Amino acid sequence: MRWTAIICGVLFAVTGFAKVDLVTLPVREGVQLTIYNSADLTLVRENRALTLREGANKLQFSWANTLIDPTSLEMIPLAFAADLDVADLTYPPRTRNLGLWNVKSGRSGKVPVEINYLTSGFSWRAFYMGTLSEDEKTIRLQGYVRVTNNSGEDYENAETRLIVGKVNIIDRIADLARRDYPYGQPWKLPQEDDKDYSRMKKSRREMKNEVMMAMAPAPSSGVTMMRQKEIRKEGLSEYFLYTIEGTETIPHGWSKRLPSLDVADVPVVNLYKFEEDRYGERTVRFLSFKNDKEHKLGDTPIPDGSIRVYRTVDEAAHLSYEGRASFKYIPVDEKVELNIGAVSDVTVEPKLMDYKTDQYQFDRKGNIRGWDEIRTFEVEVKNMRPVPVKIEIIRNFHSPYWDLKKSGDFGEFEKTDLDTVKFTLELPPHSEKKFEYTLILHQGDRRN
Amino acid sequence: MRKCKWWMLVLLAAAAAQVSEARIKLVALPDRGDTVIRLDNPAATLIEEERVLTLQKGVNKVDFAWNGVSLDVDSIRLTVLSHPEQVKLLNVSYPPNEQALVWELASPEALEVKARISYLLNGIDRLITYKAVADKEETQVDLKSHLVLRNFSGEDFTSARVLLNYGEAFEQGIQHEETKQLLFMKQDGIPIEKIWTFDAAKKPWDPEKVSGNVGIPVTYKIKNEKESKLGENSLWDGKVRVYQDDGHEGTIFLGEDNTALVPVGEEMEVYVGDSRDLVITQRKMQEKQINIRRNNSNHIVLYDTDEIITAKIENFKDKPAKLLLIQHIPGQWEMEKCSMEYERKDAGTLEFTVELKPQETRELTMHYHRRNVR
Repeated sequence: MRWTAIICGVLFAVTGFAKVDLVTLPVREGVQLTIYNSADLTLVRENRALTLREGANKLQFSWANTLIDPTSLEMIPLAFAADLDVADLTYPPRTRNLGLWNVKSGRSGKVPVEINYLTSGFSWRAFYMGTLSEDEKTIRLQGYVRVTNNSGEDYENAETRLIVGKVNIIDRIADLARRDYPYGQPWKLPQEDDKDYSRMKKSRREMKNEVMMAMAPAPSSGVTMMRQKEIRKEGLSEYFLYTIEGTETIPHGWSKRLPSLDVADVPVVNLYKFEEDRYGERTVRFLSFKNDKEHKLGDTPIPDGSIRVYRTVDEAAHLSYEGRASFKYIPVDEKVELNIGAVSDVTVEPKLMDYKTDQYQFDRKGNIRGWDEIRTFEVEVKNMRPVPVKIEIIRNFHSPYWDLKKSGDFGEFEKTDLDTVKFTLELPPHSEKKFEYTLILHQGDRRN
Repeated sequence: MRKCKWWMLVLLAAAAAQVSEARIKLVALPDRGDTVIRLDNPAATLIEEERVLTLQKGVNKVDFAWNGVSLDVDSIRLTVLSHPEQVKLLNVSYPPNEQALVWELASPEALEVKARISYLLNGIDRLITYKAVADKEETQVDLKSHLVLRNFSGEDFTSARVLLNYGEAFEQGIQHEETKQLLFMKQDGIPIEKIWTFDAAKKPWDPEKVSGNVGIPVTYKIKNEKESKLGENSLWDGKVRVYQDDGHEGTIFLGEDNTALVPVGEEMEVYVGDSRDLVITQRKMQEKQINIRRNNSNHIVLYDTDEIITAKIENFKDKPAKLLLIQHIPGQWEMEKCSMEYERKDAGTLEFTVELKPQETRELTMHYHRRNVR
C-alpha cells in the first residue's frame, strides 16, 4: 500500500465546485530536495506535467500525513507562462491538507509546472573520521554526511542537495505543517478543531506503525554505480550547497550515509594548551591545521560536526583511538583546533616560588593607599610523548594593572588582552623545560 | 462544524397607534446587496452591506441578528442612503438573551429605502506575505507579494468587494473557514543591498571561547522608492521568505523574516541568515585610570579612563563584504585615536562601515577616554 499522500490532480471547473471532476492525476516527473541542517527545513521542487483545458482549471494538491508547510506552496509554469494565470490558491473550508489552485489557461494540452514547498522531517549532519599517521605529523580526514528522512513521504529518485549554513527562521516548519488551518485563524474557535488535530496526529502514528510492519524498501541510489558518488560543492550567498551526484531514494524512516570528503596526509600540529581558568589543571590536547591549500584542503568550508580521531600504531595498520572532538564550521583559510581531551603525558605545572608585597603608599593619616604584590612562578613543562609537541600556556591575571618580568631560555610571551598573556613553547620528544616569570600586580593607588 | 445562520433581517412594521403584537406583520425579508469587506485597518475588518428595506408608513421595526458570529455590537451602524430626509431612526433596542438588535425606523409613507449596515466583524482578516528571489550575485530580487484572506467569522461571503488601503478593489467570495492566497504585487529586478552586522553589545567578543560559530547576521535592504521600482505605496508588514537563484535553473531557500510596515522612502530590512565566513575577534587591550582627582581625604572622587579596544575583522569569503560594525561607549567620552572612520549614531553608539575585500583582514583600534567617571 502506498501510504504517502501527496496527490496532485487537475480538476476542471464545470459549473461550480460541486461538479468538478478529477480528470488526470499527473505523476511526479522529477523531484529535487534541498535539505538544511541548521533548521528542520527542506525545500522540495517537483516537476509535473499538467493537462490543462483552455479556460478555468482547478488544480488540487493534498498532503495528508506529510509535514509540508502549506503557506510555502507555489506553482510555477515551466513553459507557456504567458498563457497561464495562477489566479489564486484556495484552502477550501472544512478540508484539511488540501489546496486548490485556480488556473486560467489560454491553451489546451500538457503544461510542465514546478511545484515547490518547504517541508519538515528531513535532516542531515556531517561527521568525520581522522586517522593520524604513526608519527602524528599528518592525518587522513574522511568526512561523511548522513541524511535522514522522517518527512512522511518517500520521494523516489530525488536529486538530493544539502545546505551548509545558518538560515533565519521565524516559524518552525513542523509547527506550520501541523496547523489546523494553513495560515492559522484570526481568533481561536471552540475546541472541535483540536479534536481534528489529535485525530490527525493519531492517524499519523498509525501510519508509521503500518509502515514499520510493511517493511519499506531499502534506500537505493537512482543509478547503479560501481564507485562511490561524488558531491559537488559550491558557495551560494552565505551558504554552501552540496549536490549529491545522480539521484537518491531515501524512504521515510531511513537514513543514508554518503562520503563527502577524503583527504590523506593533511599536515597537523600536535598542540597542547594549559589554561587553568578554562581547562583546570590538566593539559588539553588539540590537533591543529588550517582549511587551506597548504593542508590539501581549502576548496570549501568544512561543515561542523564531530570527529573521532584514531592513530595508526603499527605496520599492520592497527588503530588506537585517540579521542573525539566536536568542531565548529570552518571557513576556507581558517585555522581549526580539534580539542580531543585532557591528557596526562604532557604536563604543565606552575609553582608559586616566591610571594612578597612592596612599594607601599600611605595617605596623610598613615593609612595604606597602594602597594604591589610580587609573585614569582616557576613553570615546569614536560613532554613524555615520543613525538614533538607545541604547548601554549595561557595565564589570566584578572586585573589590567600588571607588569611581567620573564627569565628563561626560550620564546617571549604575547599579551592577548588586557589581563591575559600566552607563552608558547615547543618541546622535542621526551623532554622538559622550565621557565620563570615574575608578576607584579599593582593594588590601590599603585594602579595609577 | 459550526455554521452560522445569521443576518436574518426581518422587517416589521407597526402602525404608530396600533401597538398590539398581533398587528405586527412581516413585510419583507431583503437579501444582502452589495457587500464591501474593508481591510485597510489591520486591527479590525469593516463590513458594509447594502439592503433594500420596504418600509410602510409609520414606525417600522427592523430586526438584525447575528447568531454564531462575533462582531463588535457597538460598531453596528445603519445608514439610510435613499430618502435620508424622510426616514428617521428612532431608537435601537436589544432583545434579552439574543445576539440581535431592533431598529425602529419612522417613515412618512410607504417607501423602498436603500440602507447600508456596517459593523466590525471579528475572525476575518488579511495577511501579507512576500517572496523574494535574489539573483546569484545578490544585487537584486524579484519580489512577489501575496494577500492572504482568512475568514473564520462564521459568515460566508459569496461575493464581496474587497478593499485594501491602496490598489484596486476587487471582487472576491470567501467562505467561512476558507483561506485564500491571491497575488497582490509583483515586481522584478528590485535592487538590494546586502549588509553584514556585528553589534559588540550583542555578540560574543572572542569567538574562540564560545562553543558554536558566532553567526554574523546578514540583512537584505530594499528601498521603498521609485529608483527601486517601488515607492508607490507603503509595503505592509508580513513574513518575507527569501530564495536565491542557484545557477542551475532552481532556487535555494535563504531565510525568512518578519518585516514591519515600510512607508514610502523607507527601507525594508530582512534578516536572512547568519554568515560564518566573517569572523570578528574583539578584545580590550587597555583600561587605566588617568587624571585622577581626589578630595581632602585623598580619596579618588573623579577620574578619566584610558582605554583601548581592538577588533580583528576577518573575511574568509572569496567575495567582498560590507560590514556594519556597532560599538558602544557609555557616558561622557572622547576618542583619542581611531583607526577607522565612524558615524556617531547617538551619545553612546558608534557605527563603522567596513568594506572588506575577499579574504581580507582588517583591524580596528579605538583608543578613547571616558571622562569624569565618579
